[in-house]
Amino acid sequence: MVLDTRPSHAGAGMHPAREAHFCRKGQATLAAGPVPREARCGLFAEPPVSPELPAHNRPTLPGMVSQRSCPYYGARWALAPIPDLIHLVHGPVGCAFYGQTVRSQEYQLFSTDLAEKEVIFGTGEKLYRCLLEAFAVRPGARGALVYVTCTPGFLGEDLEATCRRAEKATGKRVVLVECPGFCGSSQAAGHDIAAEVLLTHFIGAGLFEGVRRTAADGVGHSGESAVNLVGEFNVRGDLDVIRSLLAQAGITVVCAFNADAPAGRMATAPLADLNLVHCRRTGLALAQGMQAKFDQPYLQVSFYGPGNVTASLREIGAALGREREVEAVIAAETPAGEKFWRQARRRLEGGRALLFFGGSRLGSMVGAFQELGLEVVVAGSQFGRRDDYTWAWEQVAPGTLLVDDANEGEIEFLLERYRPHLAVGGTKERYLCLKSGVPFLVFPQEGSPYAGYRGFTNLARDIIKALAAPVWRLIR
Amino acid sequence: MAEPAQRAVVINPAKICQPIGAMYATLGINQAVPLVQGSQGCSTYVRYQFNRHFREPVNIAVTSFHEDAAVFGGRKNLIEGLYNLVLRYRPRVIGVVTTCSSETIGDDIETFVKEARKEIGRGLGEDILAQVSIVPIHTPSYAGSHVKGYDTASKAYLEYLAAPGQPNGRLNIIPGIINPGDIEEIKHLVREMGVDPLVIFDISDTLNAPMRLPKPLYPEGGTTAEELKDCANSQGTVALCRHAGGSGAQYLLRKFNLPAVLGPLPVGVANTDTFLENVQKITGAVIPPSVERERGILLDHMADTSQYTVMRRAAIFGDPDIVSAVTRVVCELGMEPVVVLSGTASKDFTAEVAGVTAEYGVTPDILSGSDLFAFEQLARERKAEVILGHSKGVDMAKDMRVPLVRVGFPVYDRVGLFRRPIVGYRGTLELMDRIINSILDFAYPEDKLHQ
Repeated sequence: MVLDTRPSHAGAGMHPAREAHFCRKGQATLAAGPVPREARCGLFAEPPVSPELPAHNRPTLPGMVSQRSCPYYGARWALAPIPDLIHLVHGPVGCAFYGQTVRSQEYQLFSTDLAEKEVIFGTGEKLYRCLLEAFAVRPGARGALVYVTCTPGFLGEDLEATCRRAEKATGKRVVLVECPGFCGSSQAAGHDIAAEVLLTHFIGAGLFEGVRRTAADGVGHSGESAVNLVGEFNVRGDLDVIRSLLAQAGITVVCAFNADAPAGRMATAPLADLNLVHCRRTGLALAQGMQAKFDQPYLQVSFYGPGNVTASLREIGAALGREREVEAVIAAETPAGEKFWRQARRRLEGGRALLFFGGSRLGSMVGAFQELGLEVVVAGSQFGRRDDYTWAWEQVAPGTLLVDDANEGEIEFLLERYRPHLAVGGTKERYLCLKSGVPFLVFPQEGSPYAGYRGFTNLARDIIKALAAPVWRLIR
Repeated sequence: MAEPAQRAVVINPAKICQPIGAMYATLGINQAVPLVQGSQGCSTYVRYQFNRHFREPVNIAVTSFHEDAAVFGGRKNLIEGLYNLVLRYRPRVIGVVTTCSSETIGDDIETFVKEARKEIGRGLGEDILAQVSIVPIHTPSYAGSHVKGYDTASKAYLEYLAAPGQPNGRLNIIPGIINPGDIEEIKHLVREMGVDPLVIFDISDTLNAPMRLPKPLYPEGGTTAEELKDCANSQGTVALCRHAGGSGAQYLLRKFNLPAVLGPLPVGVANTDTFLENVQKITGAVIPPSVERERGILLDHMADTSQYTVMRRAAIFGDPDIVSAVTRVVCELGMEPVVVLSGTASKDFTAEVAGVTAEYGVTPDILSGSDLFAFEQLARERKAEVILGHSKGVDMAKDMRVPLVRVGFPVYDRVGLFRRPIVGYRGTLELMDRIINSILDFAYPEDKLHQ
């Protein structure tokens, strides 16, 4: 079957490329086995699909327009919002320019701005000087995170010793975040590195050695329960929505990693009763670490889509012995949106959606789109893990294509092949989809919160708005 | 005049890395794909900048350095990467853009490219190999900024591709890191003079592409490989930005004896006058009445609006050539530049700005190679009333409660500015409007224009 009939492609000699691993639920068409290079990147026919979950966490093929980023990017994604630390990027200046913006927010960022002579003669002295200067500029900072990027990563100097020296001179904590761009196959490696840094140096720091959490340690006062949110970044007020839902049920949020977790407050995070993992990819490793270190239980939740929100609230209620309070919240919050959700569903029913996320949103968002009546025809992630795909797999209808690490060319192919009514993804996918004539919803969102019941109303409205733009009817 | 900040640490940098500059140039070539020899962040972060500034998809491939590259070097990545890229995208031109990682390892890019060509010829056929030019561009991020990266690329492409032939009567223009709208305006001016412009790295179509289905794999336009070859046969070269493209013009001068003009970027009355005179000198063409009329309209508008601009304090930051040209415009409008910053260090920049401001009797703090933290401190001290710069100035401007007039790259918090020129008389008019309307939106009561 010839899938790609676009004359322009034929003219350019383009062969839509395939690198991603595809699997289709409920269909077994190709036996698993080693894929020869020519088959991996040659002429595109129908993708060989596997009945298994997509292979994941594989290195990216060189020479592709990859949608993935690097571990430094992942570390910034996770750590940028910590306000009371100095963030110093050790390397040439570019990484610091790019790393200032995280989830469309700008952060102050320091850079050692390495020049050729330091690359040749050693970078330690400059790092030391920069640390002292940074503390002089921000004397109130509790400490510093030093992001080690590619160049110092290759040089292999003893930067740990430099940090100790700076600690001695300043009396502040100086921690290396070793996240050179080559140390993993995607930004996901950076998320794990960030979790390790928080766990080793900040969470529970200052609590007495060998502390074991007991019920009596709960930091909630006057009978409140306390939780930490893990893997929640407060995109456009998501955290505020979640916090308000929990507060109505008498549950306080101690720390939200990493939207609202100053280093100072992280010390008390182990005192919370429960950790709620929102984004699994960035949060699960941290929650598991906290369980091992502080005996603190965790629960995996999703606040996207009323079905997920209600189920998660009930699980949280059961775990904290607050079933009654939680039911009251659900009863109070759901009616407000239900009428609109029904209308939205009527409008969107039968629409085909193509979803591309980073990692775990795959599992947590698929349900929300389905609740709006959209048929998810393709769901892909850049760096999802096995459990992310399992989670999505459980929810999607038979025939849905799950894709791991689709690159730009492959996404272009999938758009052409499936002609979805709506595509969802990040900024890189955005202009490709729009240019291909497919309405687009950007995620993480740029307007209002999508979490919780209220957020679902916003999500529904944004989808309707994306589809309603008259431009789509003007294309010839 | 203040010295650059005496600290080693950079806080909120106002410059980017060399590779992005080389990619900026490459994207102006027809059916070209930059291939970044480095980690995935080196391509993805850059794509974000282009996506957000131009609101366009961009294809930038990467050789995806992982642990094995750190241990064994980038040979395997580059050879495999080139093979895969040619197999899938069939580009006419590939710019192999190195990064700090590959330069630190010491990858022998030229040898790897030769090996890759052999493999492509063997695997995909000699005819396919013959269609693609692979140009290595060395852009170690620790040796200069994005401005230098563009400059390096301009020389690398011409060294590799330009070849002597029959005179073509055209005029080479190397634009530098400016917008599609600027390039359109330059073409307009040159054409008005009856000269055929050959824009080297022409992003005016490739990064401002129409929506027409089915979407072609490559956007239309851009400088073709044939044109890059042919530019050795033009009448001369104007590099609009001395720091970004000057090396390319100088190479053509040395190698093919083409007259070369480096800057100034034609923003403002005097700089546009200079540009047109230079075109005249190289080609012998005369400045037509239509262009004189554009100049007259600009002057008329300057007279109409001087009450809003004269003696207003401005702070300007960005790339050296853009900032020094904008400083001149600001002076021409009677404004007082109080802080002028080039994120990229340059002695020429300092001298140029000092010259311009001396002409107008103003004494700004001139920062060369400093950062936005230092810039903000000085802008506050000297009570700037308007800031001119790119989107990294948004938070500062909000904090200071002054308008930010968006100029330069990247601008991602406003739409369409990449389409509008600031060069030429008409572009200067656009920039003036932008400045004055920002001031009016910010500080003037609505009834200011009396009947």
